[in-house]
Amino acid sequence: MKAIACRYYDGDSSRQRPGTLEITGRGQLVIDCEGLEERLVYRDVRIPNRIADTPRFIHLPDGAVCEVRDNDTLDELSTSLQPGAPEPRSERFGRFVHRLDSTWRGAAAALTVTAAILYSFTRWGTPAVADLAVAATPMEVESLVGDNGLNLLRQTRILEASELGPDRRNDLLAVFESMKREAGVEHADLQFYSFGAPNAFALPGGTVVITDELVALAEHDEEIIAVLAHELGHVDGRHVIRSVAQRSSLLALWTAVTGDVSVAALSVLGPDQLIAQSYSRSFERAADEFAADYLFRAGIPPSRLGDILERLERVSGTGNFPTWLSSHPAATERARKAAERTGRSAEPDE
Amino acid sequence: MSEDAGAVVPGGDSPATPLEPPGESEAPTSSQAQRLRCTVDGWEYFRIWIVNVALTLLTLGIYSAWAKVRARRFFYGNIWLGDDTFDYTANPIAILRGRILVATVLVLLWFAQILSLWYYYSILLLLMPLVPWVVVRARSFQMRNSRYRSIAFDFQGRYRDAAVWYPLSWAASVATLGLARPFTVFGRDRFLVSQSSFGNKPFGFVGKPGPYYGMYVITAVVLGVLYFGGVLALILVLAVRAVASGSDPETSTPDMGAFLLGALAIGGLAVLFIAAYLRTRLLCYRWSSSQLGDTEFLLDLSFPTMLWLYASNAVAIAATFGLFIPFARIRVLRYVVGEFRVFRRGDPNAFEAGDRQRIGATGAEAAGEFGLEIGI
Repeated sequence: MKAIACRYYDGDSSRQRPGTLEITGRGQLVIDCEGLEERLVYRDVRIPNRIADTPRFIHLPDGAVCEVRDNDTLDELSTSLQPGAPEPRSERFGRFVHRLDSTWRGAAAALTVTAAILYSFTRWGTPAVADLAVAATPMEVESLVGDNGLNLLRQTRILEASELGPDRRNDLLAVFESMKREAGVEHADLQFYSFGAPNAFALPGGTVVITDELVALAEHDEEIIAVLAHELGHVDGRHVIRSVAQRSSLLALWTAVTGDVSVAALSVLGPDQLIAQSYSRSFERAADEFAADYLFRAGIPPSRLGDILERLERVSGTGNFPTWLSSHPAATERARKAAERTGRSAEPDE
Repeated sequence: MSEDAGAVVPGGDSPATPLEPPGESEAPTSSQAQRLRCTVDGWEYFRIWIVNVALTLLTLGIYSAWAKVRARRFFYGNIWLGDDTFDYTANPIAILRGRILVATVLVLLWFAQILSLWYYYSILLLLMPLVPWVVVRARSFQMRNSRYRSIAFDFQGRYRDAAVWYPLSWAASVATLGLARPFTVFGRDRFLVSQSSFGNKPFGFVGKPGPYYGMYVITAVVLGVLYFGGVLALILVLAVRAVASGSDPETSTPDMGAFLLGALAIGGLAVLFIAAYLRTRLLCYRWSSSQLGDTEFLLDLSFPTMLWLYASNAVAIAATFGLFIPFARIRVLRYVVGEFRVFRRGDPNAFEAGDRQRIGATGAEAAGEFGLEIGI
């Protein structure tokens, strides 16, 4: 019978007694230190899982503690001297984890699994979560969220009452009504506000906001139609709900990987942010395509969208913003895509 | 409250400072200081970390409680005082229970925040009475599951006191526009330390409010200079660049992209300063003001070293898509633990068996608990 050196604490004081620990063929654990002998049924004692080569503290039922530093011999004893009795499942799993994280092969397997899960989750998982969220969110809830957001923007004076004349507004509303029917997005509605800068956005629930400044920036009404068609694309795809779902699932994933926020906070711009921005860019592209299709069907040159986007970019000066940091694709790229699409859509078979 | 999340609570949840409550020293002579030693190997921790991450992802997060215990035990088993390491005894099931509770609350808040900010703040307000309970639970769970030479640490803070130093003192900080903040942090530290014990020996706290005011004033000044000076410099640089490129300042628009990037950089520097200066100084002061019977502690971390560690860690983590995270933690841990010194006055021969377990502090009592581990 092999005995391992151990340090015994009686559970009451920090006094350390050197001794030996052995496991007998009868399944007994015998601790012998300085003449004090303790015999326990091995199965009643939980030997902690091994972690690297750190000391293991065996907590005995009577409150005493037995510390073992010779991990290899302890493993040998506790695996070879199982007298046919089934091991507790937790111990088997602990041994499995130790095999994984004490070898390079195990670590490489874990790294591969992690990379595969992260890749498939960002590639297919988050869009699937977004589909689920869209399916599970009733329109009433979405409208409630949108109304709350709009009220907040108005109360904080970020959006102020529009100064457009009633005729101009009614004209645009009439255009929007027919656009809704043609595009099949019946629940959308259009509102005008003054914001201090040209802008247009779609809120959850289908409210599209266009600012006075954007109306003024347009050199042709078809440009306004192009922008509204783009926003209808967001409404049709329920992009806000999708985006919330995707960002939240990414955040959950990021927390799972780092297990901690302080390290992530220090890296200022976590990869999750970059991925979220690229999702957001893909929404913009989807809305652009929706708009291009609509404009083509309505007999309006889809280049109108590119025209006003480029002017918008010049005015707001976001042109130098690096693409990977931006939530919108660059206007030049979008103008090019719109032009490409026109070419393709103009094929007779469309 | 970002600056005191985790790190300030001894044995808090932040891996940046997983300093354990110190134990009894075995100083050979009464005058000699003893340093903690950290024997963690970076690659060893990398393997443990990546296996933990993989298993956590595979089990949809459930394994995270076991992962937490495994990582903790690895750290504790590699931190030495004299000839012995620390021992972490938490039950993963208790941690899982605590995490499910926290996740439920977070999901609730998340839904509320999407629906309306009113709901969100109402729920936050309703949760306030729970904060002191969470604080006491979290810290006693942490302490009771930490041992040195078989003796368990403990925390016996009361709900009443926790209510004063958490929700009520937050209100006081807000009401005084932050002027009361240093004092409340002092009070919180005193509460956390003086209600803690190692075995049957209570910790004592000899800190004063003055140094807290010093730390916060320096932080406020530096952040002020950073924000105002930084934004001013940014505007100047952009203006000079615009003029140099020959565009007419009347008609050309500002370069928003560069401006936002600059603002982001300033924000990053502010976060870095808070971590390397304020959090570090708070940690050092709290430990250096703590006593355990005859034992005193000294923690003196250098600002440039911490700044370098945090800044290079951030760059390396970003450049390796997060793979550097375990090494980043180890670098900070090694430095912090290595600087931790323990002095033992009094009878040097009393060390061997001098510490007694507090009656009832061990084992079964903690079994049914929620393993809450939040650093507020």
